[in-house]
Amino acid sequence: MSTDPKSPGVKRRDFLKILGAGSAVTATVGCSTDHVEKLIPYVVHPDQTVPGASTYYATTCRECASACGVIAETREGRVIKLEGNPAHPLNRGALCARGQAALQGLYNPDRFRGPMVRRTAGGPLTLISWDEATRLFTQRVGELRANGQAANAVFINQHEQGSFPAFLDQWLAGYGIPAHLSYDADAPLSTIAANRQTYGAAWPTLDFSAARLVVSFGADFLDTWGPVVPQQLAWADARAKLDGAPRMIYIGPRRSLTGLNADQWIACRPGSELAIANALRGNAGATIEQAAQAADVPLATLQQLAREFSAVRPSLVLAGTTGPDATELALAVNALNQAAGNVGMSIRPDESVRAYDRLSTPAELRQVAARMQAGGVSLLMVRGANPAFTLPKALGFAQAMARVPFKVSFSSYPDETTELCDLVLPDHHALESWGDAEPVPGTLSMQQPGMDPVFLTRATADVLIAAAKGDAGQAARYPQPDYRTWLISRFPGGQQAFTAAITTGVSRGSVPAAPAPAVAARAPAPARTMAGGIQSTQGDYFLVVYPSAVLGTGAGANKPWLQELPDPVSKICWQSWVEIHPTTARRLGVESGDHLKVETSAGSITAPAYLYLGVRPDTVAVALGRGHRSASGRGGTAERRADGPLHLTGYGRYADGVGVDPLDLIPGFEDPRSGAIALTVTKARVTKTGDHSPLVTTEGSARQHGRGIAQALTVTQLGTLQQATGAEQAGSLAPGGTGGVHGGQTPGGSAPAGAPGETPGGAGGPGAQGETAHEGGPDAGGEHSFPSGVPLPFQPGLRSPVAADAQGDFAEADSKDKGMYDIRHWSGMAKRRWAMTIDLARCTGCSACVTACYAENNLPTVGAPWQGRALGPATPNAGPWDTRPGANIIKGREMNWIRLERYYEGADRADVEFDPNFEARFAPMLCQHCGNAPCESVCPVYATYHSPDGLNVQVYNRCVGTRYCSNNCPYKVRYFNWFGFGEPARRQYAFPEPLNWQLNPDVTVRGKGVMEKCTFCVQRIREAESRADLEHRPVRADEFTVACAQACPSRAIVFGDAADAAWTVSRLAMDRRAYHVFEELNTYTAVVYLKKVNHPAPAAGAAPAGA
Amino acid sequence: MATIAKPRARPPEEAPRRPNIPSANIQLPAVRDYEQVDNEITATLHPTVTWFAGLGIAILCMLIGASAWTYQIYWGLGQAGYEPPVMWGVYIITFVFWIGIGHAGTLISAILYLFRAGFRTTIYRVSEAMTVFAVMTAGLFPIIHIGRPWKFFWLIPYPNWRLIWPQFKSPLVWDVFAISTYLTISTTFLYIGLIPDIAVLRDRETNPVRKRILSTLSLGWRNSDREWRHFARAYLFLAAFSTPLVLSVHSVVSFDFAMAVTPGWHTTIFPPYFVAGAIFSGFAMVWTIIIPLRRWWGLKHYVTLNHLDASAKMVLFTSLVVGSAYLSEFFIAWYSGLRSEQEYFWNRIFGQWWWAGWSLLICNMVFPQTLWSQRLRRNTTWLFILSIIINIGMWMERFTIVVPSLSHEFEPWQWGGYRPSWVDMSFLVGSFGWFFMWFLLFIKQLPVIAIAEVKEIIPPKLRATHPHEDNIDHAGRHLEYEPDTPGEYA
Repeated sequence: MSTDPKSPGVKRRDFLKILGAGSAVTATVGCSTDHVEKLIPYVVHPDQTVPGASTYYATTCRECASACGVIAETREGRVIKLEGNPAHPLNRGALCARGQAALQGLYNPDRFRGPMVRRTAGGPLTLISWDEATRLFTQRVGELRANGQAANAVFINQHEQGSFPAFLDQWLAGYGIPAHLSYDADAPLSTIAANRQTYGAAWPTLDFSAARLVVSFGADFLDTWGPVVPQQLAWADARAKLDGAPRMIYIGPRRSLTGLNADQWIACRPGSELAIANALRGNAGATIEQAAQAADVPLATLQQLAREFSAVRPSLVLAGTTGPDATELALAVNALNQAAGNVGMSIRPDESVRAYDRLSTPAELRQVAARMQAGGVSLLMVRGANPAFTLPKALGFAQAMARVPFKVSFSSYPDETTELCDLVLPDHHALESWGDAEPVPGTLSMQQPGMDPVFLTRATADVLIAAAKGDAGQAARYPQPDYRTWLISRFPGGQQAFTAAITTGVSRGSVPAAPAPAVAARAPAPARTMAGGIQSTQGDYFLVVYPSAVLGTGAGANKPWLQELPDPVSKICWQSWVEIHPTTARRLGVESGDHLKVETSAGSITAPAYLYLGVRPDTVAVALGRGHRSASGRGGTAERRADGPLHLTGYGRYADGVGVDPLDLIPGFEDPRSGAIALTVTKARVTKTGDHSPLVTTEGSARQHGRGIAQALTVTQLGTLQQATGAEQAGSLAPGGTGGVHGGQTPGGSAPAGAPGETPGGAGGPGAQGETAHEGGPDAGGEHSFPSGVPLPFQPGLRSPVAADAQGDFAEADSKDKGMYDIRHWSGMAKRRWAMTIDLARCTGCSACVTACYAENNLPTVGAPWQGRALGPATPNAGPWDTRPGANIIKGREMNWIRLERYYEGADRADVEFDPNFEARFAPMLCQHCGNAPCESVCPVYATYHSPDGLNVQVYNRCVGTRYCSNNCPYKVRYFNWFGFGEPARRQYAFPEPLNWQLNPDVTVRGKGVMEKCTFCVQRIREAESRADLEHRPVRADEFTVACAQACPSRAIVFGDAADAAWTVSRLAMDRRAYHVFEELNTYTAVVYLKKVNHPAPAAGAAPAGA
Repeated sequence: MATIAKPRARPPEEAPRRPNIPSANIQLPAVRDYEQVDNEITATLHPTVTWFAGLGIAILCMLIGASAWTYQIYWGLGQAGYEPPVMWGVYIITFVFWIGIGHAGTLISAILYLFRAGFRTTIYRVSEAMTVFAVMTAGLFPIIHIGRPWKFFWLIPYPNWRLIWPQFKSPLVWDVFAISTYLTISTTFLYIGLIPDIAVLRDRETNPVRKRILSTLSLGWRNSDREWRHFARAYLFLAAFSTPLVLSVHSVVSFDFAMAVTPGWHTTIFPPYFVAGAIFSGFAMVWTIIIPLRRWWGLKHYVTLNHLDASAKMVLFTSLVVGSAYLSEFFIAWYSGLRSEQEYFWNRIFGQWWWAGWSLLICNMVFPQTLWSQRLRRNTTWLFILSIIINIGMWMERFTIVVPSLSHEFEPWQWGGYRPSWVDMSFLVGSFGWFFMWFLLFIKQLPVIAIAEVKEIIPPKLRATHPHEDNIDHAGRHLEYEPDTPGEYA
């Protein structure tokens, strides 16, 4: 190395050379990674974008016809969460599971990346440019007009409110195309038809609070019947009145979610509802005896119903059956309401919901299908609607489409109808588009994009404008460059008012009336009905087909959150099932999970049996929503990687091969008065096939076994409880105790109206504050102190106001035993005790909280067919992997941090005899954030420990995965990452691109091998604390709330600081109905449940009572 | 202790006794002198085809387990059969099973030593080796079963810059201490006991490399009185040190369950119950190992029927203890009035897990009752079959403790089932492979019957005529001999 032989070592220059070369080699070899991530700061800030801070856009939910207001939370230009808009008149801050899951429509991995065309008949769809696609479309429509064929074109639009239908009709009229068909597969058409006839309004507001008795003839107002969220809010508010709450009687062959919320179930034979309604009306064609005979229910039950109905005023009678006589029933019920004086009291036609204005019927679609079949349709345009799937196969819509020479789809996702189209011009998602709606008369709900489009999609309205501009004859009609400008030009008050309105999302005003269609209104379709009620020749069992409470008629099937969300009644997900009564199962020799073949004249399906107490023994029930399959017959359970190729056929990867479609069984008859498809119209033959597959259920035992998890009492017991507790409390609390008035138990409804940031009303506030002031109320300095020497009284609700209690002495500041969590902790956190109350009198079991938690906390879905485990090194036929949909959930590995438990009480001998007198109790179960947590002491590495503000914290990074914490958790609310659900390289990855865009950046995505659980949305707590710190103020009472509470459409969940009397939760925790689950285990939970209140029949209790 | 009739000849009272001679009332009448002991026992060290075959099978099984582990680490624990809320399964069951196996070894080598129980002498080495390897096997499972096994060292209280320590309240941390202590002590105890025997091997070894290794391992043992005195002291000390460990380690393991609130786990009876169960299962495992060995190696005159008879009594006793524990559990569940506890035990016997519950009762309580019969106690075939039954029964006992409790806890909504997957079963197979791999390697390197201790109980020189002298041929080899009469001192 050295040039100088005398030099003993390395020369300086050589050393430097070596050093340099060595460093370079090291740097190149050692520091390179395969994947270089770039972290580039904004040089020029985009408007309204601060990295790490959320921006919120008020917009409108388009997942169903109701048009609820939502607030889209965006982070760095991506929508990450949807929440209800508190200012919106319809949903008042709440949002259902389907609304939450709109996000998974936006980021659906199967969405069309851009416009597509089918170059050859029967060939594949291929991507093209928008220029070419628009040119193609313009050319086609132009030709049509030139040929005089325009009147033969058909436009089917997914029903929506607002200006777009008017815009569309205007556009169509310009070309001479008839007005579009506004199709909504989920709409309860019979009820709407009857309401229009009776009240002149499609959907009067239902005021449950004004009623003392609610009688529902199959009207599932909590699951699918009408605008669910506002109805649920109204129902929960009504039930929260406790003493003055309405009693509900549900009449129908199957107990739906709404039925399970009823106090009494009259299990009538399908199709006999009309007889009962007529009997109630008195001399309207049926006597009580005849009705009892027809309905196959005890005469005494109906007599009692009649007595009660005539005695209780005001009442509210609803009808929502799906038989061929559904409109007749709804009319009869409307007449009942009018006779009972309910109209204007509990039914308000003057305050109608405008969700169902201008709705087309399946009968009209059937006509279109007939015209298509006859070759009378030259161009079919479909936007959003999926008639090829949602119409009964017997109507042959899909086959008829083959006869149409050119079919255009504006759908953003692959579906059964789009699959048959020749040109796909994918629309923006609702969260990427402009629009408006008028949910209630006189109020506009604004729709604005929350982000730039994810893919190369284009708003249909813009496509139509572009097409018109490309057509010499039409260009003049559209001076506006795009739909947004068009909207603004029509907006009352113009640009300025528009800009002001979109900040709140709602505005006074009305959507201007649509221009009269150029073509005369369509003639009413001739009804296709059958005489003699339910077809009785086909089998021994009545068939009840109903829309799924989660998936509706199938629109949500490609969203993993909705597939994973257990059905609120059966608790089954990722699967179709046939509901039969246990006695029927005994007769057929069927066990739960045995496959049943259900056959009608129209077709047959095979699905596992679910033994359900709430269905008549002579009836089988199947839910709609699943069973999507491509027309080419592909699908099934073929293995598919999460990052696999696009699904251009069928309904997408999550829906493919999942479940069966009961529409195959429906012969396609209609309710002649409304044109609605009659779902409860036929009998079916049920046979056992001999196959078996385990039910994909999250339910362990449906009975509580006396464990007292979901507790209830009757209204009569409520009175005695109030007195007893009141006296006790008055004795134990010397100053300020106001005796019986606990926690705002004023009859006006105790739970908060619920909007985040809204301070709870004054009712009960002062009394509660007086009681709790000496425990943890704010002192003069705004800080909390825990004066020594004052022993805390035993609180009926929250036994542990601060975390310190369970660990050291009971919050005595002088005690030397501070335990692990000193209330004078340097962090200042220990002054708080984050807690939650869950009012079971309000909870309806709708499960919106579950999906909200998935959205907020990046919970992985685990049920997709590619997420199962390996069955064995080599399993013949099936391949090595378990590709059953929901395979992980069969093993109980779902990751729902909050789950909805549904327990039955009563009907203990259901497997030998049919007993309609049972009660269902819903209890959301989540981490109880115990003050004395069994999980904490057993974790060997401190991965779970107690924070000074009472949270039971889980440190994912520290967790080694011994799972001891879960074993020791009495509530079983800890969930383990069995696979790398959060690791993109893994087969079980739960967020295939771009679903990962939905991930909340405030929350970690957990890797495999660690435990996770509800954190009480700790990211929201810390965010609120930081915000308060920045603004130099304490956190205000009810300033923020957690995701589940935020979404809850019943306002059953309330979150806050129980150590501060100003928070609603501290008041509710003192409620006389408060209890802890497994209190005997001394866990000192932070979740307080308020007992459900049952309303047994006024005469000797027919409904089961008791706690 | 173990024999019925008085021996016809016993060493005279005034004969000098080494300090560590147990009260040897089990004699080895067919063992004539020291040289015979050396010859016969070192003869077992030569590898045979059968041994190679056995080792091959063991290594194959071990590799099955190792591949399953690789697979599981790559994909995640979901490949095992866990069904929440059953968060612990075959791994923890097998962990407790092997820990239990280990315990009888220490009981035999240490506690029975302190009690001067003569029948331990010839089986103690096998037991102690079994202990070490069983604990080595058991120690793997807590690592295998955790979600992120590469982080297992977080359970060890090592000093670190962030001052994060393990949670000392957690029984799992106690486990870490208990198992590592136990492994250390039992390995040391095994080694100390081996020193004189290694010296014997060293003296007979011709291969210079092996001789060198054996010299080092024997620590320069020269058979001096001083060495024997120190050896005896060390041995006694370690025996005394191990004795509480036998009781404490399995008690600590039982705390994994007893400290939890889970119904079926939360009970104070677990420590003694687990210790008794461990001894019970350990003796069964000793039988499983020693009965074939004594037959294959022709060492029936070392491990005589009297030995087995004595250990059978021990098994019968522990079976009764364990059985009482089972029955007390049912009684306490009924007496407690706790619904969750009662339903769990009902479920264990008449519900979902009836097959597990009954199989453990039958295997562990009913079959061992046959040992009341002296004929069956001395029937090696039956003892071997019984040992397998007990091993299965004790595995099922741990299954019944772990799985049904978790599947049927407080919260009915989360009641579930459990079905091990092929991955779980590969680990079970792998654990036996791992254990037997070490054991088979051990038995061909070092004597599994303690040469020095056997020499201590045979008289230095026969004073009386050996009653069966005709059974020993001119080369000093022993001919077929089985004492047929119980307690026969022949």
